Amino acid sequence: MARYFIRRVLSLIPTLLIIITLSFFMIRLAPGGPFSREKDVPEIILQNLLKRYHMDESLGRQYLRYLGDILRWDLGPSFRYRDITVNEMIDQGLPVSMALGVTALVMSVFSGVAVGIISALRQNKWPDYVAVSIAVVGISVPLFVMGPVLQLFVGMRWKILPMGQWVSVHGWKAIILPALTLSFPYFAYIARLSRASILEVLRSDYIRTARAKGLKESVVVWKHVLKGALLPVVTYLGPAFSGIVVGSVVVESVFLVPGIGRPFVQSAINRDYTLIMGEVVVYSIVLIMANLIVDIIYGFLDPRISYK
Amino acid sequence: MSDNKKETQAVNEFNQVMKPVSLWADAWKRLRKNRMALVSLYIVSFYIIITLAAPLLSSMGVIHDYKEQILSNASLAPSFKPAGALVVAKLEKRIVDLEETIKSHQALEAETGYNPSSGFNFGPTAEVVPTEGEVDPNQSFSLNFGGTGTDTTASADPLARELEFQKTELERVKAEMETNPSAKKVYILGTDDLGRDMFSRIIYGGRISLAIGIVGTLTAALVGIIFGAVSGYIGGWLDNLMMRFVDIMYGLPYMLMVIIIMAMIGEKARGSFVILFIAIALVSWLTIARVVRGQIISLKNSEFVEAARSMGASVPRIIFRHLLPNTLGVIVVFSTLLMPSFIMNESFLSFLGLGVSAPDASWGTLVSEGVKAMEYSTWQLLGPAIAMTIFLFSMNFLGDGLRDALDPQSKNRT
Repeated sequence: MARYFIRRVLSLIPTLLIIITLSFFMIRLAPGGPFSREKDVPEIILQNLLKRYHMDESLGRQYLRYLGDILRWDLGPSFRYRDITVNEMIDQGLPVSMALGVTALVMSVFSGVAVGIISALRQNKWPDYVAVSIAVVGISVPLFVMGPVLQLFVGMRWKILPMGQWVSVHGWKAIILPALTLSFPYFAYIARLSRASILEVLRSDYIRTARAKGLKESVVVWKHVLKGALLPVVTYLGPAFSGIVVGSVVVESVFLVPGIGRPFVQSAINRDYTLIMGEVVVYSIVLIMANLIVDIIYGFLDPRISYK
Repeated sequence: MSDNKKETQAVNEFNQVMKPVSLWADAWKRLRKNRMALVSLYIVSFYIIITLAAPLLSSMGVIHDYKEQILSNASLAPSFKPAGALVVAKLEKRIVDLEETIKSHQALEAETGYNPSSGFNFGPTAEVVPTEGEVDPNQSFSLNFGGTGTDTTASADPLARELEFQKTELERVKAEMETNPSAKKVYILGTDDLGRDMFSRIIYGGRISLAIGIVGTLTAALVGIIFGAVSGYIGGWLDNLMMRFVDIMYGLPYMLMVIIIMAMIGEKARGSFVILFIAIALVSWLTIARVVRGQIISLKNSEFVEAARSMGASVPRIIFRHLLPNTLGVIVVFSTLLMPSFIMNESFLSFLGLGVSAPDASWGTLVSEGVKAMEYSTWQLLGPAIAMTIFLFSMNFLGDGLRDALDPQSKNRT
């Protein structure tokens, strides 16, 4: 177990290295840069700027310097925003984005599994049809349609919840709409997934045995069915979390959430090299760690998986 | 020839001629039983036909030109009435609103001496130059300032000046109602802030979204098929190497890479959506490559491949003539499911401002414009949003239906 864990953690390093290298060179090799604007900058100022950000060195040296900086967790100054470093930006935004992402994930898992159980136990009755239809809608409606429509009706017309911004302005209610939007597609997918796997488990022999023993139906469902049926849901948690993290880029833009998603889009438009790189590094670490955690949880839940 | 053909026809034990059923005929038979999938197929075909025929419809005058900006027809709600009548109704409502506001302000002024719109009244105001743009910014109204000229009878109250202006505007619109062709236009889905027809904008947006979806899917499928087929058929260290590459690509955060590619390409080239779909296609061929590889590996030791090999068929011939046709079902299913995700990803980027740029517009661009205008004109958001959702909905249903129809092991096979 410990050996497996260490090996998994070590195997993250090359993946991260590849991501950093690819992004670094892809961004640098393209013509133009953060200092190419509509107005021409005088040559001497440009030289000084390049020197200030070590951009006058060779590409290889810059790359090595960046790797060294990352080892010390120094993501550098932002090229566009003079008064803030990338580290400060991430420190401010990451807790917000994580809170949003985790809330959305928890919401989608609990409501998804609940709907899955209900529709599997009432298969081909109306609760099942309602649940399946909602699930298909959830998979087909893009986030950036769902978000504004919720904003329009719940926030603007009916004024039930705040339309945007964050806990610091509106209190905990501000988290509901963005998290709901973000969780909806994953809620739908998890509902479908858990419905299918519960139906499969319900037909298996050990459930028949459990019922033959005269166990109560609630015990059969909660203790026997769910244990086996939720494994696919756990497997899906990794991809779901990555999807939620990437989707939060859109949701943060729609609901004006001060996370790390909005600066990321802005950095891509401004070609703010250090900010793009810093965001990519942070996002990659979050995603990779999430997958690792899911793998480990999965091993605990399913004794058939051995760590070798 | 025909005699020859008759002899080779298959017969069953009762000597009845058996019609051979191909995979596709069989699949079509099963698809027809799935009502949702069939309806989805009709909807998708309808979208494709409409978007393909858009330039024709536009030149025939069935739909309006999607680029034409008629400022006097800006922000009209969906309706079957001609634009002129809607503009008149809008102006009349605005005039009534203005008159009421002025009345209430005057009542307030009579009481307290303070008028919220013109300030304190200290007798006649000197040298107030009326500017035409000076209006209540909280209200949207017709942007047409043409030909009203300077107004010498202007009062100090900007509301009264606007009332005056709106009244002349109303007269002008009423007078031109019969002669002005733009007043006769019917906008069934309304217009946007620049007076462009939403209906034709949605159709043309669909053209770009569908084009990116189809071309991107084809590119991704092609790359995935070739990569997966070569890797699966040749096997050995090459397969190992190629699949490690796919694994690494899988590990990369997909949308982040696309955003980086869009950032890398830079502002100028970003408008061309050829680059956009290349960027999306680059990272979405992976699943198809894996699936095709798995299929090829399971098939490559079967008798028919051995037969082909023993007859001296070359490797490309075996792959493309013998193996791939047998995996086509899976490829079709994955491609149908890939297309909505393509359209969604393109719209995702366009929504963030990293995708298609003006004057072209995809559904994503239209939705993001609709979001900006949703406060006062909901239809600008709901129109493209609903059009897009119906399409994605149908594509997903069609994909599921095709999977059931093409999968020989599928449960609902009869």
